[in-house]
Amino acid sequence: MKKNNIEGWLFVSPLVIWISLIILVPIYIAFELSLFNVKIIGTSGKFVGIDNYIKLFGKSKFVNASLNSFYWIIGNAICQTFFAFTIALTINYKFPGKKIMANWIILSFIIPTVVVVVIWKLMLSSSSGVINSVLIDIGLLNEATGFFSSPNKAFISLVLINSWRWSPFLALIILSGLNSINREMYDASKVDGANFIQQFLFITFPNLKSVLFVLGLVGTLLSFNIFDIIWLITKGGPSSATTTLPLLIYETAFTKFRISQAATLSIVTSFLLLLFSIIFIKSMAPKEND
Amino acid sequence: MIKENNIKFIFLSLSLLLIILIFFFPFFWIITSSFKSPEEIIATSTTIIPRSFTLEHYNKILFNSDFFIYLKNSLIVSFSSMIISIILSVSAAYGLHKLKFYGNKFVEYSLLVTYAFPGVILLVPIYLLFAKVNLLNSYFALIIVNVLFATPFAVWMLKAFFKLIPNEIEEAAYIDGASRYVVISRIIIPLAAPGIASVAIFCFIISWTEYLFASILISGDDLKTLPVGLAGIVGQYQIDWGFLLSGAVLASLPVILLFVFIGKYFVSGLTEGAVK
Repeated sequence: MKKNNIEGWLFVSPLVIWISLIILVPIYIAFELSLFNVKIIGTSGKFVGIDNYIKLFGKSKFVNASLNSFYWIIGNAICQTFFAFTIALTINYKFPGKKIMANWIILSFIIPTVVVVVIWKLMLSSSSGVINSVLIDIGLLNEATGFFSSPNKAFISLVLINSWRWSPFLALIILSGLNSINREMYDASKVDGANFIQQFLFITFPNLKSVLFVLGLVGTLLSFNIFDIIWLITKGGPSSATTTLPLLIYETAFTKFRISQAATLSIVTSFLLLLFSIIFIKSMAPKEND
Repeated sequence: MIKENNIKFIFLSLSLLLIILIFFFPFFWIITSSFKSPEEIIATSTTIIPRSFTLEHYNKILFNSDFFIYLKNSLIVSFSSMIISIILSVSAAYGLHKLKFYGNKFVEYSLLVTYAFPGVILLVPIYLLFAKVNLLNSYFALIIVNVLFATPFAVWMLKAFFKLIPNEIEEAAYIDGASRYVVISRIIIPLAAPGIASVAIFCFIISWTEYLFASILISGDDLKTLPVGLAGIVGQYQIDWGFLLSGAVLASLPVILLFVFIGKYFVSGLTEGAVK
């Protein structure tokens, strides 16, 4: 195909300029800030060079938040893969009410995150939550538990809540991949005597590669970025157990008023995410065949 | 064969039950709870079927709070963000889809990776930047940010929809002497309309649910959006649950209504068109 350099750039440039301005200018500002020692917004600080960066790596808070972010991504990836595949494979079957379910399963994704927080704060409440009373009724619990009171319970609860929000959306994208698989392959495999587990492993899964690539990349980055669900439920606690890097940045900037430190954190985090993205794209990008 | 079908049936029923319990029951729960009396909401013995019915929470939030101000702000910000996002991403997606140009793969992947930068990483510097150029406390501050969040995925989805339009239709139009502008406005956009509608919903949802930037970039009460207003109640020490629940239901209502009308395009767009 012949190249349309000028026309092509004309079409993409409005968006490219918009996005680059809103990303690159702030990144530059953050980089500049990270070399100074500014505390409260609006004040000026003295030049400290790479001091902020050196200090950062020695801070236990940074190490702790990085580990939390890492567990957060892994935990969400596992839960969301499970939920999303369950939903997608179920909806892919024929059953009465399938259309309604396919349309409305995404409800948890279209409501504001604040509403997600309200729903689960009420359902998981230790004094009057329905989950507690159901668990007690069926004998799994002896007395009401606080789902956000211990570090582990809080972390797991948050992972589940966030997965609850995102899995239906991911399920629909997986469904788009499932729909693009040629039906004849299933029929042919049936003739050869394959059962539905074998069909999943050898037909469904390999054919979802390009969909899973996008989900792997975007999903990881989106999980990493989650802020509001954690902040509005636990504020990063108890004892920093749910403080991921986004929460640490927010806290540093807007509750501790250490703007330069927050900027340094932002730069380091951007760098880590960029590195991850490049490695992921280079190693996993599916070959284009169109 | 019969045995395998039985296993399938059990699997299907179990997962359907699981899905309904996990993904639909919570909605039933908050909606019914929002009509319960305050005593019943916080009672230790929970009642699946409500025992009381009251409209007092809705009365309070509709006639005795800033709900309508927040609603207006959310609507203005979300609609403007949606329209700007659609214009920018339709143009970019068409360029990426049809016109092979130097650097197109780079732009494509960069757009996907752009997901890495939004969120809290940009919060501090954007706050400072907007403070410098006097954009804090304005709708436009939120619109700028929402467009940034919505467009990368919007372009990705739109590209997939454009791919579904047969090349021959476009080529026939060119042979008849149509210009690029005519082809886009008379052929591409109408044929991709369901796709564009679903991308529009996506952009609207992204803006409607955004909390973080709205909470930092806006400080005036008269400009706050619904999520920020609601979060203010969540943060209170003594939560007025009835008030909060009715607020949560009302804040979800506009997107749900929108979804009732064009939701099927969104879902079929996602499941049939996107990411192929």
